[in-house]
Amino acid sequence: MSSHREAPEISKDPVADSADLYAFVSPDNPGTVTIIANYIPLESPDGGPNFYEFGTDVLYAINIDNDGDGKADISYLFEFQSETTNLDTFLYNTGPISSLTDPNWNRRQTYTVTKILEDGRMTVLGSGLPCPPCNIGPLSTPNYEAGLANPAITTLKDGITVFAGQRAEGFYVDLGSIFDLGVLRPFAADHILGNLISTMAGVNATKALNVHSIAIQVPMDQLTRRRDMPTNPAAKDSVIGVWTSASRQAATVLPSTPTSTSAPIYAGPYVQVSRLGNPLINEVIIPLSQKDYWNHEAPASDIHFAQYVSNPELARLLPVLYPGPAGGPAVFPNLAAYNAAGTPNRADLTAILMTGIPSGVIPGFQNFTGTVQADMLRLNMAIPPAVTSSTLPSNLGLLGGDLAGFPNGRRVFDDVVTIEIQAIAGATLGLVDPSFTPDAAAGLVNQGLTSSGTEISAMGTENYLTAFPYLGVPHSGYFTPAS
Amino acid sequence: MAQVSRRSFLRNSGLAMAGAGVMSQVPFLSSLVGAGEADAPAAVDTATAGTDEGAASLTEPLVAHVRDLSTGEIGIFNGTREVVFNDPQLAARLFRAAQ
Repeated sequence: MSSHREAPEISKDPVADSADLYAFVSPDNPGTVTIIANYIPLESPDGGPNFYEFGTDVLYAINIDNDGDGKADISYLFEFQSETTNLDTFLYNTGPISSLTDPNWNRRQTYTVTKILEDGRMTVLGSGLPCPPCNIGPLSTPNYEAGLANPAITTLKDGITVFAGQRAEGFYVDLGSIFDLGVLRPFAADHILGNLISTMAGVNATKALNVHSIAIQVPMDQLTRRRDMPTNPAAKDSVIGVWTSASRQAATVLPSTPTSTSAPIYAGPYVQVSRLGNPLINEVIIPLSQKDYWNHEAPASDIHFAQYVSNPELARLLPVLYPGPAGGPAVFPNLAAYNAAGTPNRADLTAILMTGIPSGVIPGFQNFTGTVQADMLRLNMAIPPAVTSSTLPSNLGLLGGDLAGFPNGRRVFDDVVTIEIQAIAGATLGLVDPSFTPDAAAGLVNQGLTSSGTEISAMGTENYLTAFPYLGVPHSGYFTPAS
Repeated sequence: MAQVSRRSFLRNSGLAMAGAGVMSQVPFLSSLVGAGEADAPAAVDTATAGTDEGAASLTEPLVAHVRDLSTGEIGIFNGTREVVFNDPQLAARLFRAAQ
């Protein structure tokens, strides 16, 4: 998955587990950028009676690098508080929740947003901001979106808009096949063990799940290095690097003689326990032994992990996993030959994931932030969103000819799994190594969850919104019980 | 949640190395082991050196972690800070107190 339960330690700590990160020019408000950081992966909609909520002991951050050094120049911090109003019931709500102030709602959260600049200046942008409840069902949370979620969208000073609360999972992935020895169901017959499995259509494993989203929409001129509006796609200053992080205080002491009012003690500096820039990095690039370390590190230190990007294990496995039919042509012969020619140095993947793509590689496009290798989602804000009839969006982003899509930032509907697998399979290697001819299969590999590149509503993810916060109404627990 | 500072937020595993007089800032430890000022270690967090704030009251949780008994390396977590200093005698007394 993008980054759901992607490392041993964070898989045990869902509230701090960054699952997905999106950053894109807001299609309905193009002078702004929307950034969405998802946490608490794989929420079952009916997960009561203690429905999901953000961690009150977790410091969530959305970080912006606008000068290419892999360090945060601007951070937006989100800290959550919980309140139980009725101490004598086990219920999340004791009647219908019709508004954010409804006394029937027994367990609610608020949050504080603080902006911190690189020089240490801090500004509290808002506090006591309401989160909506989870979407429980028609009796508990009637009129969910209009009555509960929309009122939780808050406009702060300086034209910043925020939302923090439950959303429908927008990321789509065929988990069951990918982690079963790298099967892509549409290509199962070509798998080395394809004779042992049946061919079937792709399965969207996340289609009925929810997440908790932290969404912020910021005017672009608050994000650029010179505090101006980015208008030139060729300018370095038009590009920002974005990542999210979650941190916990270093020391936790649980009460050894607990009482009904005792609580854990937290002390010490915040220690990063999770981070996410580009999708799938820690998931499928970083080896198991390094995943927890990766989550603790800052992007500026990512040179430690550069070898795994430039020589990814999955690129070595693909020719082995998909040898082709007996006696027939191999599926990835060119990739196999490239791998065999020496230690791979995939400059295309390094550019896509670690430095941004320089000018001259793709006509009219760049999102290069410099030579510092850092895993950040890089967004060229001067490239307008693909919303017109002449520039329809493609779920394959740059691979689909859509300059406004991943890896130029990431939109909620981008098929990042297919994009990255195609890239790792060699589809983008020819951009930086003209002597390499990508295998035909590299451009055909897909999850089978969309009917075409222009379908922006993948199987089971029909809930995208056209306006902030873009991720859809969370699945209701009543209508979407766990299967 | 405790107030976060830019410094504490930025460092992932950063430590503030210690200087003289830290015992005056850690009354919890002093009372625990009965240590006097004569046992003061050789270092203090430079961010608060020269002040005595915190000496009169403990307003935030304070947690000590003996990292290495042989060198006496002790980490103290207080607020959103971590102070590390070396005091083999104090480390040994903490160890004995835990027996």
